[in-house]
Amino acid sequence: MTPPPLLAQGLQGFLNGARRIGLTGRGLVIAIPLVWLIVFFLIPFLVVGKLSLSEAAIALPPYSPLMEWIDGVLSIHLNFNNFLFLADDSLYLNAYVESAKIAAVSTFFTLLIAYPMAYMIARAPDHRRHLLLMLVVLPFWTSFLLRVYAWIGFLKGNGVINTLLIWLGITQEPLRMLQTDFAVYIGIVYTYLPFMILPLYATLVKLDKDYLEASADLGARPAMTFLTVTLPLSLPGVIAGCMLVFIPAVGEYVIPALLGGPDTLMIGRVLWNEFFANRDWPVASAVAIVMLVVLLVPIMVLRRAQAAEEGATP
Amino acid sequence: MSETTAQTEIRSPTDPESPPFLQIRNITKRFGAFVAVDNVSLDIHQGELFCLLGGSGSGKSTLLRMLSGFETPSSGQILIAGKDQAGVPPYKRDTNMMFQSYALFPHMTVEKNIAYGLKREGVPRAEIATRVTDMLSLVKLNGFAARKPNQLSGGQRQRVALARSLIKRPKLLLLDEPLGALDKKLREETQFELIKIQETLGVTFVVVTHDQEEAMTLSTRMGVMADGKLVQVGAPHEIYEYPRSRFVAEFIGSVNIFEGRIEQDGEDHAVIGSPDAGMGIYLSHGITGTLGQEVAVAVRPEKIRIGKSPMEDLPNTTQGTVDEVAYMGNLSVFHVRLETGKIISVSQSNLVRSPEDAITWGDRVTLGWDGAASVVVPS
Ligand SMILES: Nc1ncnc2c1ncn2[C@@H]1O[C@H](COP(=O)(O)OP(=O)(O)O)[C@@H](O)[C@H]1O
Ligand SMILES: [Mg+2]
Repeated sequence: MTPPPLLAQGLQGFLNGARRIGLTGRGLVIAIPLVWLIVFFLIPFLVVGKLSLSEAAIALPPYSPLMEWIDGVLSIHLNFNNFLFLADDSLYLNAYVESAKIAAVSTFFTLLIAYPMAYMIARAPDHRRHLLLMLVVLPFWTSFLLRVYAWIGFLKGNGVINTLLIWLGITQEPLRMLQTDFAVYIGIVYTYLPFMILPLYATLVKLDKDYLEASADLGARPAMTFLTVTLPLSLPGVIAGCMLVFIPAVGEYVIPALLGGPDTLMIGRVLWNEFFANRDWPVASAVAIVMLVVLLVPIMVLRRAQAAEEGATP
Repeated sequence: MSETTAQTEIRSPTDPESPPFLQIRNITKRFGAFVAVDNVSLDIHQGELFCLLGGSGSGKSTLLRMLSGFETPSSGQILIAGKDQAGVPPYKRDTNMMFQSYALFPHMTVEKNIAYGLKREGVPRAEIATRVTDMLSLVKLNGFAARKPNQLSGGQRQRVALARSLIKRPKLLLLDEPLGALDKKLREETQFELIKIQETLGVTFVVVTHDQEEAMTLSTRMGVMADGKLVQVGAPHEIYEYPRSRFVAEFIGSVNIFEGRIEQDGEDHAVIGSPDAGMGIYLSHGITGTLGQEVAVAVRPEKIRIGKSPMEDLPNTTQGTVDEVAYMGNLSVFHVRLETGKIISVSQSNLVRSPEDAITWGDRVTLGWDGAASVVVPS
């Protein structure tokens, strides 16, 4: 397939430009993700960081400038009150703790469900494996929002599940499931399941069958083989999967907003409220910055541990 | 054991009177319609080092995997120490296996790898430690206990795998191409180490290999497999000197094959008329077969004498021209074209460094061999 001439020309022009500023091949490969990170992560982060240090104001935009130039005097206002305010009001701390708890519990259950699924897919015969993997990613073909809405239909008072339970005579009254933490857990586990299955599958499918046979040959029952060989060897997949679920789950907004109750306190909702209900952009930004830092710490610790592990076994 | 057997067999710890330790009875394994192992029966005695030799895909590994319990026979019976192994899972069998890939657990140190089998048995920690240390010195890996498998060379990994499979003191050790991943020089050294360890521990070894030299060196007895069938079982010299089929003759070592028909078959001699050789081949022993039956005569290259003068002392002589000479250091291999067009290979030890009357390309030579030098195999 040949690219359309216009695209080819554009690409060529871009490459020429890159070469003119001293970038070729290897450099370009590194530069592209770097530019991406700068434009879509670092700059927004700095903007939010700057916002978090300014003062709320009834203006457009609703905050005071960081720097002022008045009569030849440059004054810089760094307002740390937003952060102090977060520490002051227990609402925020509670929201962080609650978010971390909900994310951790959901991650745990996602892992519990995903592991056997990934294991079975990895052990399935070739032709069936591709079909099963397709099914895992199939939900991505419809909108995430739509799928969460569908859960409302399942969980609500006169929804599918309650109708079924009453029809079977298991309960008389419809169970209250929607607008509870339970519904939030269901939503998160359901939504993030593929993100757990895929990295687990990737490590399990590489697991050499000889290791399992060697373990059995040396007298280990299947359960023991799982604990001493399969599980440790799939740990990289477990960690990757847990990260992919836990991190976005902490900041999840849509799922608690749609499925959670008024007392489901998650940091994503607090953030939303600060921005759009209170219109207090500086405090909202401070909330976001703190969340990022809180999430960064476990990631760094983990990376450090992984690097040490790799260093020990070159 | 009698004097005579001790002379012919260098290593023979076997007591043929005792009941066989491993009995394989009419074992067949099918994968779908494909027959991987075809009606194999075999007895192996305590203390033997038995080699299963065969080309790739001949069913050696499948047979071994049925002994260790990883494959279930489609039919037939396996008895170890008299006990039927049907339905016994691998983790309950008294066998251990050394894998072709070694299958060392990458997340465990050498020490943990070797100790693995004992831990599963619930052996006390102190005993595990001493047995692992002993095993490490047996395979000459003292000082490597704390390494991970990926910090070892191929030869060291091979020895860890051996140590791990021996630590439980199995009665029967199954080794699938144990030296397959080593380079030639290391492989030859390791062969002798393997024999020494096997003799020291007195464990029965069943070794799978596709390398005929390795099988010859290692085994007290060997079995040749082809297309899932066990075609011949015997001591290495028996298989080499008395192959029972053309396949075995050609598979083990190199050989000259002459097609022919039985012309005479007496009590103490036979003659095979062979258009290939352009003569009647004389054998100093009787054979089984009917007059006129088509057979093949197999003569090993080292059993043929080559020279420029006539050989009146030999019953089989013929002439030809030297087509090719391959100098291999310890011996030279000559390809001699007979008048019939047949090319015969003859090997000769290089006793003298540069003999004056050396045979070279284009020389007219006489070939001759003794009446006991050849064997007749079904055509
Ligand atoms: N699990 C299996 N499914 C189907 N065919 C198999 C299986 N295992 C082995 N075979 C086939 O059986 C034959 C013998 O294999 P194997 O015992 O591994 O041979 P080798 O003598 O090289 O060790 C081969 O043709 C192989 O393709
Ligand atoms: Mg094999």
